Amino acid sequence: MARLLEFDDVHQAFGDENVLRGISFGMDRTDVEVVIGPSGSGKSTLLRCVNRLTEFDAGDIRLNGESVTAMDVDALRRRVGMVFQGFNLFAHRTGRGNVTLGLTEVRDIPSGEARRIADENLARVGLSGQADSYPAELSGGQKQRVGIARALAMEPELLLFDEPTSALDPELIGEVLEVMRDLAEEGMTMLVVSHEMGFARSVADTVTFLDDGIVAERGPPEQLFEHPERDRTREFLGELDT
Amino acid sequence: MDILPLQAGDWAFVGTNWWILMQGLYVTVLLTVGSLLLGFLAGFPGGAIEVYGRGPLRSVVRGVGVLLRGTPIVVLIVLFFFGVQWPDIGAVPLGGLLPLPAFEINGQALLASTAALGLRSAAYQSQVFRGAIRSIDEGQLEAARSVGLSKLEAVRHVVVPQALRRSIPGFQNEFTIVLKDTSIAFAVGLAELLTRGFELFTQPAGQTAVVEIILTVSAIYFVLTFLTNRTLDRVENRFAIPTGE
Ligand SMILES: Nc1ncnc2c1ncn2[C@@H]1O[C@H](COP(=O)(O)OP(=O)(O)OP(=O)(O)O)[C@@H](O)[C@H]1O
Ligand SMILES: [Mg+2]
Repeated sequence: MARLLEFDDVHQAFGDENVLRGISFGMDRTDVEVVIGPSGSGKSTLLRCVNRLTEFDAGDIRLNGESVTAMDVDALRRRVGMVFQGFNLFAHRTGRGNVTLGLTEVRDIPSGEARRIADENLARVGLSGQADSYPAELSGGQKQRVGIARALAMEPELLLFDEPTSALDPELIGEVLEVMRDLAEEGMTMLVVSHEMGFARSVADTVTFLDDGIVAERGPPEQLFEHPERDRTREFLGELDT
Repeated sequence: MDILPLQAGDWAFVGTNWWILMQGLYVTVLLTVGSLLLGFLAGFPGGAIEVYGRGPLRSVVRGVGVLLRGTPIVVLIVLFFFGVQWPDIGAVPLGGLLPLPAFEINGQALLASTAALGLRSAAYQSQVFRGAIRSIDEGQLEAARSVGLSKLEAVRHVVVPQALRRSIPGFQNEFTIVLKDTSIAFAVGLAELLTRGFELFTQPAGQTAVVEIILTVSAIYFVLTFLTNRTLDRVENRFAIPTGE
C-alpha cells in the first residue's frame, strides 16, 4: 500500500538560491514527524511544497500514492491542513467564523451544521468559551488553538505545523503543545516543524534534521537526540540547548 | 476694504426663493450619489485589479487611473459634455414632491457630469481600495487558500470584508470632495445647487444678495458634509472589528 506522504527527490530554488536540494522521505498514517533545522534550511518551504503554497521545481510529493502536482490544488488543500507560525486568523471573523469559512465554502456544509462542527472542533482544542471572540480578543495560545481547530474541521488526512509555538510567550506554549499531543494520541498524522525538544522527544515517531536543503540526519527521537551520527547534527543540537 | 453688509432684505430674498435652492440641492444630491456609486462600482474592481491583476488589464487600469487623476475636473466635464455623443434623453423631470415644485434639467448635462465625476471618483476610490487591500496581511489569504478556498473565494471572504472596513475613512474624504466638486457641473449648465444660487443673484432683485446667497449655499454644502460624515462614522463603528480593548 502506498505511504500516506512521500517526498521523492524534491528540489526547489528561489532565484539562484537552492533551498531544497533533493528531499526524500516518507510517512505513514498516524505518524508524527518533527522537522528541525537552522533558520533558512528550508523547513517552511518543505511544508509549503506539500500543499503547494510553493510549487516545487523538481521531484515529486505523493499523497496516498498520488502526485500532489496532478491533483486539483484546492482539493489537495482540503485534504492537508496547515497551522501557521503567525496564526493567520481571519481578523474579521470570530473564532467560530474562522472555522466555519472552510466548511461552508469548501465542504459546502449548510451554515447551521457548520456552526455545530465548528463548536465541536473548538471544544476539542479547549475553546468552547471563546467561539464568539474575535482574534484580537484572544491570547496567542488561544489564537493558535483556533488555527488548529480551523484546520481540524476540514477533516484532513495530514496536518502540517510550521513552528506553531515559536511566536508564543513561553507560558502559552504548553497549552498548544497539549492540544497537539492529544491529536497525536488520537492518531492524527502530523508533519511538524518545531524546536520544542520535549514535544519531539515524547510525541514524535521520527525526527528529521534538515540542513541546507537536504535531510542531514533522520531517526527516532531518542537516537537522533542522544546518539546523533553526524557532527553537524550534534553541533546544531548543541546550539539549541544554549 | 469693507466687508459688504448683510441685509435683512437680502435674507428675505433668499427666504422667498428657498425652493430654487432646494431644487439645486436635489440635483446636487442626485449627482453626488450617482457619481459616488459609479465611482464605487468601477473603483473597487479597479483597486482589486491593481493589486491582483496582471498583464495588460492591470496596465490599462493603472494608465486610465493616472490619466483621470491628472486631469482637472472642469476639463473632464466639458470633454464629456461636448466630446461624447450622449443619447438624447431630453429634459429630465424632477421634483414635484410637495413642497418642492416640479422642474426639469438637461439630461445630457446630467449624464456627462455624472460620468465625469463618477469616473474621476473611481480613479481616486481605486487608490483607497488598493491601499486597504494591501494592508491586509498575506498570511490570512494563505490561510484561506490552505483550507481549500480558491483565490477568488479567499479574496471575497477574507480580503474584501476587511478592506471595505478600512476604506471608510478614505471614502469619507472622497465623498466630501465629490459633493463639493458637483458644483463644477455649473460649467455645462446643469442646474445644481451653485448654478441655482448663481441664477438667483443674477436676477435684478437678487443683485444685492450675492453674499447672502453664497453663504446659504455654503451652509447647505457644510450641513450635507457634516451629516454624511457622521453617518459614515457610525457605519465604521458599527462594523468595526472588536479588538478587546
Ligand atoms: N517566496 C520566496 N521567495 C524567495 N526566497 C524565499 C521564499 N521563501 C523562502 N525563501 C528563501 O528560502 C530560504 C529557506 O526559507 P525557509 O522559510 O524554508 O527556511 P526555514 O528553514 O523555514 O527558516 P526559519 O527557521 O527561519 O523559518 C531562505 O533563505 C528564504 O529567504
Ligand atoms: Mg520557517
